[in-house]
Amino acid sequence: MSDKNRSLGRFLKKVFFVDLIQGLAITLPYTFSKTITLRYPDDEKWIPYKRFRGLHTLNKNKDGKELCVGCELCQKACPTQCITVIPGEDKTGKGISDRIGYRWEIDLLRCMYCGLCEDACPTEALKLGREYELAGFSVQRQIRTKDELLNPQEIPVDFEGGVIVKARLVTDDKGIKVKADMSVQKKWW
Amino acid sequence: MLEVLLIILKVVVITMVMFSLPLPLTYMERKVAGHIQVRLGPMRVGPHGILQPFADMIKLLFKEDVVPAKADAWLFRIAPVVSMIPVFAVFATVPFGDKFTIPFINKEVTMYIADMNVGILYVLAVAGLSVYGTILGGWASNSKYALLGGLRASAQMISYELALSFSCIGIVMVVNSLSLLDIVKSQAGWHWNIFYQPLGFIIFFIGGLAEINRIPFDLIEDEGTLGAGYHAEYSSMRFAFFMLTEYVAMVSMSVIMVLLYFGGWDGPSFIPLPGIIWFILKVVFFVYVFMWTRFTYPRYRYDQLMSIGWKILLPLSLVNILITGLVVI
Repeated sequence: MSDKNRSLGRFLKKVFFVDLIQGLAITLPYTFSKTITLRYPDDEKWIPYKRFRGLHTLNKNKDGKELCVGCELCQKACPTQCITVIPGEDKTGKGISDRIGYRWEIDLLRCMYCGLCEDACPTEALKLGREYELAGFSVQRQIRTKDELLNPQEIPVDFEGGVIVKARLVTDDKGIKVKADMSVQKKWW
Repeated sequence: MLEVLLIILKVVVITMVMFSLPLPLTYMERKVAGHIQVRLGPMRVGPHGILQPFADMIKLLFKEDVVPAKADAWLFRIAPVVSMIPVFAVFATVPFGDKFTIPFINKEVTMYIADMNVGILYVLAVAGLSVYGTILGGWASNSKYALLGGLRASAQMISYELALSFSCIGIVMVVNSLSLLDIVKSQAGWHWNIFYQPLGFIIFFIGGLAEINRIPFDLIEDEGTLGAGYHAEYSSMRFAFFMLTEYVAMVSMSVIMVLLYFGGWDGPSFIPLPGIIWFILKVVFFVYVFMWTRFTYPRYRYDQLMSIGWKILLPLSLVNILITGLVVI
């Protein structure tokens, strides 16, 4: 009896296209729902959390002195040997001690962003930052030196991250950058 | 003389409109697809990607027109045109509205090219011709996928054309005329055929989906198993002609559906809109429904397609004729 009922129900379901209409009823609300995509280079940009490992940055202390003491530990810790440190004597008072990194270079083409250099650093001078748009038009450009890395990155260090901000695509001969406008923020989804 | 000029003018206008139809329709299709899949669709070319169809058109125009070495070159070249002409010819007898009078010269103009007394037969017959282009294209490509696509097209057309035409007979029996103009006029004032022929409409809709090769019946260009089916070997503008055919066929199917079942340009009288606007709104709605189903359902298997056509739709359409006959008597 119940078997018969069930097969009758299935038959009626087929006759009145119940399943098909249910399918259509699922896709219709999605048509008008908010999209989950990120209009990344043109309009929006994802700001990563603090733990993100992007482009390296060399920190300074509060007085504006370089924290790097040229100890070469990062160079030794690096699994791909992409960091070159040449220490030098500091006579100008740029650093926190008499010894500073005379040259500090990183080859981004070989770097795998493992963060071991960051762990090895005794003075917390080296930190992997949150910049991740590293595409460029020349190989030379991918070797970043100390002067550039000492500049603070676009995203403030104490900013928590994990939000979407308004952004704008900028392409120049240096490479491709998506400039973030930190004033307009929204939560993810 | 003026009459002849008017007819030529109408033909030119309709052809121009039909040729430019794929531009908004591809855009609409991609937007509908995007939003159903919770993304945005084209966004980068122009504001909200509105220029995307033009970019696609330019791309297609400048691509190389490849004819495969072992293809039957003449058939291969002529196939897209063969499939394109019938779908345009359908619109010769489609009434877009009733008469209107041009101001200043006081000339009455009809909103159709010709009012044939066998309009509905003409539409069904000519729309069915379009499949020759598909079959020829599949045959001439000398590729197994294209050939399979062409073969499927012919079999699918035969099985669904029957049910489609039979479902129209119900309407002809109710209206007592084969002319599309009479059919529309008889539905004036909310006496739409959908209320009298619901079963016929369902059969017509399903048959129409199969006729214009939309998902869930797009087995002739089944990406999953046939690459692209009958147009696998086509590129450049010849491919664009096939796409044009597909979109114009979609519009013509919506137009016929609106004419036969939804009262043509007849709209609710409490909203004062010109008839042509109602007509376009209804057609756009059905085009949207076609797209909506496309991105909702998966594709039928080939044997399922055949069994639906022969075992369900055809008997149902005969039953529909029978019931209609009994009621009319």
